[in-house]
Amino acid sequence: MAESIIEFNNVTFRYESDEEGVTLPPAVSDFSLKIYEGEFVAVLGHNGSGKSTLAKLANGLLLPESGTVTVSGMDTKDEEKDIEIKQTVGVVFQNPDNQIVATIVEEDVAFGPENLGIEPSEIRRRVDDSLKIVGMYKYRRHEPHKLSGGQKQRVAIAGIIAMEPRCIILDEPTAMLDPVGRRDVMKAIKRLNKELNITVVYITHYMEEACEADRIVVMDDARLLMDGTPREVFSNTEKIRSIGLDVPQTCSLAEMLRKDGIRLKNDLLSIDELVENIDDILKG
Amino acid sequence: MSHLKTENLSYVYGEGTPFKITALDNVNIDLEKGELVAIIGHTGSGKSTLVQHLNGLLKPTEGKIFLDDENIWESKSKVYDTRFRVGLCFQYPEYQLFESTVYKDIAFGPTNMGLNEKEIDERVRSAAKYVGIPDGMLAKSPFDLSGGEKRRVAIAGVISMEPEVLILDEPTSGLDPRGREQILGLIKNYREKTGKTVIIVSHSMDDVARFATKVIVMNDSRVENSGTVDEIFENSSRLSEIGLSVPQITEIFIRLKKMGYPVSEKVYTVEQGHSELMRLFAERGIV
Amino acid sequence: MIKDITIGQYFPMNSPIHRLDPRTKLLFATVYIVMTFVSNNFVGLLFCFITACIVIAVSKIPVKTVLKGLRPILLIVIITSLLQIAYVKTGIVLVDVWRIKITSGGILMAVFMTVRIALLIVMSTMLTYTTSPTSLTNGLDRIFAPLKKIGIDFHTVTMIMTIALRFIPTLIEEVDKIMNAQKSRGANFDNGNIIKRAKALIPLFIPLLFNSIRRAYELANAMTCRCYNGGKGKTTMNALKMKKGDYFAVIISAAFVAGVILLNIYCGEYNAEFTFNAAV
Repeated sequence: MAESIIEFNNVTFRYESDEEGVTLPPAVSDFSLKIYEGEFVAVLGHNGSGKSTLAKLANGLLLPESGTVTVSGMDTKDEEKDIEIKQTVGVVFQNPDNQIVATIVEEDVAFGPENLGIEPSEIRRRVDDSLKIVGMYKYRRHEPHKLSGGQKQRVAIAGIIAMEPRCIILDEPTAMLDPVGRRDVMKAIKRLNKELNITVVYITHYMEEACEADRIVVMDDARLLMDGTPREVFSNTEKIRSIGLDVPQTCSLAEMLRKDGIRLKNDLLSIDELVENIDDILKG
Repeated sequence: MSHLKTENLSYVYGEGTPFKITALDNVNIDLEKGELVAIIGHTGSGKSTLVQHLNGLLKPTEGKIFLDDENIWESKSKVYDTRFRVGLCFQYPEYQLFESTVYKDIAFGPTNMGLNEKEIDERVRSAAKYVGIPDGMLAKSPFDLSGGEKRRVAIAGVISMEPEVLILDEPTSGLDPRGREQILGLIKNYREKTGKTVIIVSHSMDDVARFATKVIVMNDSRVENSGTVDEIFENSSRLSEIGLSVPQITEIFIRLKKMGYPVSEKVYTVEQGHSELMRLFAERGIV
Repeated sequence: MIKDITIGQYFPMNSPIHRLDPRTKLLFATVYIVMTFVSNNFVGLLFCFITACIVIAVSKIPVKTVLKGLRPILLIVIITSLLQIAYVKTGIVLVDVWRIKITSGGILMAVFMTVRIALLIVMSTMLTYTTSPTSLTNGLDRIFAPLKKIGIDFHTVTMIMTIALRFIPTLIEEVDKIMNAQKSRGANFDNGNIIKRAKALIPLFIPLLFNSIRRAYELANAMTCRCYNGGKGKTTMNALKMKKGDYFAVIISAAFVAGVILLNIYCGEYNAEFTFNAAV
C-alpha cells in the first residue's frame, strides 16, 4: 500500500464564538482519516458538515483543539515545519477572486515559488509548466480580472502547482462556476492527479464530480459518516439521501430499473457504464 | 394577453471604443401573466443583461420594453415604478444585505415605495413567511445567519415589494443540494400561492426543467430558442453544444438515441427516464 | 460601464521605451520633472518640450491618448494661470480696467507655468503608459530595498500597492453590482440633497465593507497557503536587469540634465519678457 501523506488522528476542532462565554459545537469532531500518496479523494457533505474546516486543518491553517494532524510525518503544530507543510499540501479555495494576488497571470503563479526563495530561472520553468498543465499558458500575460471564473480558478490551481506540492486540496473549487468552467477545472485536476501523480483531495457537493474520484469520504455533522469507493458509497442511496445529499441520477435510474427486474450490473456509476449495460441488455 | 414583452431589444456598451460589446442583439420575448419562465444560457450569453432591462436598470440601446402594454421608458417616474413592479433579485443576493436587523432589510424596498408602517409590517411578515424565515429571526442581525438563511432573507427583500413579476438571477448558485431544493421549493410555492409571473435565470437545466412553463434559451446575445420544456428538450444535444448542462439522465438518452435506439430526448427526470426505458424494454420483449 | 475603466493606465505596446527597466524609467521621469522646474527660460522649456515629443514618438503611444491625460488638470492650469496674471505685474500693461491690471509679464508667466505643468503631467503619464503597474511596483521595490538596512521595510508598501492594483477592478465591479441590487429595491443614489445622498450610500457601503473584510480574510488565508511570510527570502521571477538600452537611457538623462543647466546659464534668467518685448 502507498504511504500516507496526510493523517488526521482523532481530531476535534471548534471555532471561537464572537460572543463571550458561548462555546460553539465542534466543526470537526473526533475525526480520523488517512490520505494516501497519489489518491484522488472526494470529500462530500452538505454546507456546515465540517468539510471546509478539514481543508484548513490539513495544512496547518487551523490547528486542532485535540488530536493531531500530520503531513508526511510532520505535525502541523510544529512551527518550524510550517513552510514545509504548506509547500507539501497546497489549498485552493472556492472564490477564485480572493486568492489571486498579482495583476498579471504569470506573476501570480510565480508568487508561491518566489516566497519559497526559488531561483528565478527555475521559477520561470515552473510557472510555464504549471500554466500549461491547467491549459492557461496562452493567457500568461493577461490580467486576472478579465478572465472568466473557470479560467481564474485554473490560474489559482497553477499558483499552487508551481510550489510543487505533493498534495492539493480543493475546497469547492467549482461552486461558483458555470458548467463550462466546471468541466475545464475538473479536467485540469484530473490531469494533475494522473500525469503529475499529485494527491488530490476534492471537497464538493456535486455528486457527478465526486464520481470521478478513487475514493469518497462523506462527512455529516462534523463526523466521518462513510468512506469507500464511489460505487460502495453510492450503492447506499438511502443513507446518502438521509443526510440531504443527492445520488447521481445514473444510480437512481439503475436502482429503479433493477427493482423492475432489469438485470443491470450492480455498481454502475458513469453514464458510459449505464448506457453500455443497457445496450448489452437490449442486444440480448 | 401579453404581460411583459421586449421588442427588438438591443444593448451595446463601449460604443465608439475598441471594447465595444453587443450584449443583447435584437431580443424579442413575450411573457404572459402567471408563467414560470426559465431563461437559460452560459456565462456571457446575455441572460443577466436581459433581466436588468426588464426592471429598467439598463436602458436599451435600441428597442422597447412593455409592461402591460406600456413602454417602461415612457417617463422617468414610470421607470422608477417599474423597479417595484418587476422585482429583480441578483445572483448571490446575500452579499447585498446591509441593515441591522432582518426585519429592516426586508422592509427596505417597501419603505422606498413610500408605504405606511402598517403596510410595511404586513409585507415584511408575509414575505418572511414565503421564504420560511420564522418571526423569531426577524430581530436578528442578517450577518449572524447561515448562508442559506441569508439568501432567503435577501429574496424576501424583493418579494416584500409585492412585484407583479419576480426575477431571480441564479438563485441556487453555490448552494448544496438541500439548499437548492429549499430555494426552488419556495419559489414554486410562491408562484402557486400568488399566481404571479416568476422568471428564473440559470445555466443549468437541472433546476428548472421540472416546473418551468416556458424556457428561453440565450446564446451569443440572442434568443436561441424558446418554448415549453418539452419543446426545448426535443433537441437536448444542442443544449450541451452551447455550453449548458443538461441533467445526467437527459445525457443518457441523448447517447442511446445516437446509438440508434428509438428513444425520446425529452427526458429530464429519473421517473421519465425510467418509464421511457421500461417502454423500450417491453417493446423488445425483455420484460 | 463603470468596469471599463482601466486603472493604472498602462498602454501595452512593443517599443524600446516599454522594454526599458522600470528603474530607468523612474529615474528619467524624476529627473525630467525636476528639470522642468529647474528650467527658468523659454528656450529651456522648449528643450524639455522637444525631449517629451521624442519620448512620445519612440514609445509609439498615440498623441491623442497622451493629450487625453491632460484633461483632468485643466482646472488646475486655469487657476494657476489666473493667479499668475493677477499677481505678476511686470512688463507692458495690456489691460487696465477698474482694479484689473493685466501685464505682458503676467501673461507670459501664465503661459510658462501652463507649459511647465503640462510637460510634468505628460511625462508622468508616459511613465504609467509605458510601464505595467506590476513592473512599476517591482522597480520601486528594488530602488527602495536598501532602506531595509535602516529599518524601513519598503516591501510591505509594494505588496500593499500590488494588492490594491489587483483588487481595484474587482471592487469597482462589486460596487456596480451592489448599486444595481439596491436600485432594484428602489434605492435612489442620484436625487436629493447632500444628507439624503449620503444616507443613500449606506446600503452601498455596508455590504461593500463586509464583503471586503471577507475578501481580505480569504486572501490572507490564500497567501499563507502560498508560503507568504512577509517577503523574507523572497526571490523574483522577472529579476530586473539593466540592459544596453537602459545604459543608453541613463546617458541620455545625463545629457538632458546638462542641456537644461547650460540653457539656464546661457539664455539667462527670465529672458521671457525680453523675447516678448522684442516681438512687440
